[in-house]
Amino acid sequence: MSEVTDPVAEIRDLRVEIDGHAIVDGVRLRVLPGKVTALVGASGSGKTTTGLALLDEYPPGARVTGEVRRTGDGPVGYVPQHPAAVLNPARRVSALLDDLARPQVRHLPRAERRKAARALVLRALSDAQLPDSEDLLRRYPHQLSGGQQQRVVLAQALLLGARVIVADEPTTGQDALTKSRVVAQLAAVAARGIAIVLLSHDLDVVRALADEVLVMRAGRVVESGPAKRLWTAPRHEWTRRLLDQQRAAVKDGRHPKAGQPVLEVRNLTAVHDRRTTALHAPRLALHPGECLAVVGRSGSGKTTLARCLAGLHRDHDGEILLDGTPLPRSLRHRSRAQLAAVQYVFQDARAAFDEHRPVLHQVARTAVRLRGIDEREATAEASTTLTGLGLPAELAHRLPGELSGGELQRAALARALLARPRVLICDEVTSGLDTVTRRGILDVLAGLVGEGEKELSLVLITHDLDTARLAHRIAVLDAGELVEQGPVRRVLTDPRHPFTVSLMETTERLEAGTRT
Amino acid sequence: MTTHRRFALGLAMVAVPLVLALAGPLFAGDPGARGVSFTLGGGHWLGTDFVGRDVWQQVLLGGRTVVVTALAATALAYLVAVPVALMSALTRLRWLEELLMRPLDVLLAVPSLLLILLVASMLSPGAAGLALLVALVNVPDAARIVRAAAGEAAARPAVEALRMQGESWWRIAVGYVGRSALRTLAADAGIRLTGVLYLVSTAAFLGVGVAPDAADWAVMVDRNRTGLFVQPWAVVVPALLIVALTMGTNLLFDAALEKKPIRKKGRRP
Repeated sequence: MSEVTDPVAEIRDLRVEIDGHAIVDGVRLRVLPGKVTALVGASGSGKTTTGLALLDEYPPGARVTGEVRRTGDGPVGYVPQHPAAVLNPARRVSALLDDLARPQVRHLPRAERRKAARALVLRALSDAQLPDSEDLLRRYPHQLSGGQQQRVVLAQALLLGARVIVADEPTTGQDALTKSRVVAQLAAVAARGIAIVLLSHDLDVVRALADEVLVMRAGRVVESGPAKRLWTAPRHEWTRRLLDQQRAAVKDGRHPKAGQPVLEVRNLTAVHDRRTTALHAPRLALHPGECLAVVGRSGSGKTTLARCLAGLHRDHDGEILLDGTPLPRSLRHRSRAQLAAVQYVFQDARAAFDEHRPVLHQVARTAVRLRGIDEREATAEASTTLTGLGLPAELAHRLPGELSGGELQRAALARALLARPRVLICDEVTSGLDTVTRRGILDVLAGLVGEGEKELSLVLITHDLDTARLAHRIAVLDAGELVEQGPVRRVLTDPRHPFTVSLMETTERLEAGTRT
Repeated sequence: MTTHRRFALGLAMVAVPLVLALAGPLFAGDPGARGVSFTLGGGHWLGTDFVGRDVWQQVLLGGRTVVVTALAATALAYLVAVPVALMSALTRLRWLEELLMRPLDVLLAVPSLLLILLVASMLSPGAAGLALLVALVNVPDAARIVRAAAGEAAARPAVEALRMQGESWWRIAVGYVGRSALRTLAADAGIRLTGVLYLVSTAAFLGVGVAPDAADWAVMVDRNRTGLFVQPWAVVVPALLIVALTMGTNLLFDAALEKKPIRKKGRRP
């Protein structure tokens, strides 16, 4: 095509202001057909606001200056981070898509409309990488996986003839295999000449997909350019920090193997709804001062394992031993000392805090309840711990709603640490955080292992092999089975089980930045 | 600002019927001689009613039974419903939840007015008995609504986090789950008070708990209907007072629960 260089949408000097604060300032963006333009940056850097500006959507009460121009006809499609939120749960997929196809076939005779509409729907679905979708059309949105929901939203946009698709964090919280599928799907859509605006803090995905990258910070574009140039020669300091893929080092010097394990699992079989077996782990041991990573795809039973250990999932057989003594299955039957010994940090920090009380107060309660110290002392200790984890006292006095995801995750860690635990279970605590924040949290975790006289042990539940590198040992779960476990270096360099091999390969392929 | 205005409006609307109902009987004075039915003027500020009594005096006397019975019945209903709902929302024992909620479903299936009339015909209760009865028929609805709101809060990770911290049942149930369900509860309370007022008024008009010619706003509305076009005040005034009480209560609850907007830090520049 000759007019490849003509942008289908363009933003010039966009400035969006709320209550006098600029959340986006001086942003320029050219969206080219068939190209992937990525906006990267930490959460709150203005990515979503810029992306939504292409749809003429602004936050309520915003003052907008600058120009947003769209040359192509047809609307701009938007695929949100949580696609379920934009699909009417009471209607089948076929109805959701037919509603959009019907108006386009109105010119045809009545008898032919139904067939023509169905053909349009099927073509949109296959364009959105959902071929053979007859069966899928009969389902309701909640019967689809997250990835399928995403593709149905994509199909809706394509049905409407969108020439530009804004994809907001399409891979957040997904495992490597799912991620590579999303990458392939977006690449296929771009190959059809549709412009894609990718809003993401997942740099692996950006690297694999993007042609043009804009790095945003605090509402401004600090650097932009072709993806390849940006990766090889970043000009701005912030870009360098963002791209700094430096990993937490594998610790193998002091490997704590000697003595009795602090936590031991024997013949654990966990069930859901009293029937389906969700997890089977014959033996798993955690030694004092050790960090164990449990990896697997979503739905592989990692969270169930963590919840069994913490006493949050009662439906299981087998034994969980703390220092050789069996722990009660439900935490309601665990003594205060047992509760304090095994602490759990939740994936969604925001949902795990009481929204009505200040963070500091909630953090301090752990020490009051589990260690029986008085309120004032507990608050002082909470304050010290929070500051030590990088959360200033000024923020700790606020309500959870006023803190960011990363800040809340630090507070959640502090809340668990105030119990002076022997084992800390971290369930996907870094998913959904941008690279800089994630690295901060991982550094904190790395510093915690082996801390204190009790030698804190860590169980890291993660789908991310990079995070798993922090550990001493790795246990791999696939479809509820513990398929492999061993020292981190051995598992990562010489995986024995086929599933581990495929997980490793996908991760490497994503990192290498090749479109598959 | 608008919240404050709504609050003031609600307060004013509630205050008039409430003060009239509670303090009215103190100022009513002697009943005096009966005059001609359904007249306007003639020394009677709001005219006379269907048996020639002074309407203003009847208004002053007639609020107490309705308002006190309705308020007591609503409070009593929640006193039973909230603990039952919180207990069933927070238990993991299926049988306990069934034991708490299923009997209420049976009660829910019986038409409330029918139940009240049936019991009233056997026991002929006074005002206190009526309040008890009305509370009883309201417990299932209230418990189910509070249970639904509390159930949603009880399933949040925050509750698990509180358990992980070794918090007591009381603190989890009241301090977090109850508090999270508070908005729903308050919204329901506003509507429920309206329903209870309606039920108490209907019962009063059917002669349960009060005499057929008693000084009672609900009875007044019914008995004076016949003279509505000759002497509207005997119907309009008590009816307006009941409407003001229910609407004012709803406005008051709304204003009190108006959420202060929290600025999300994540979307901050």
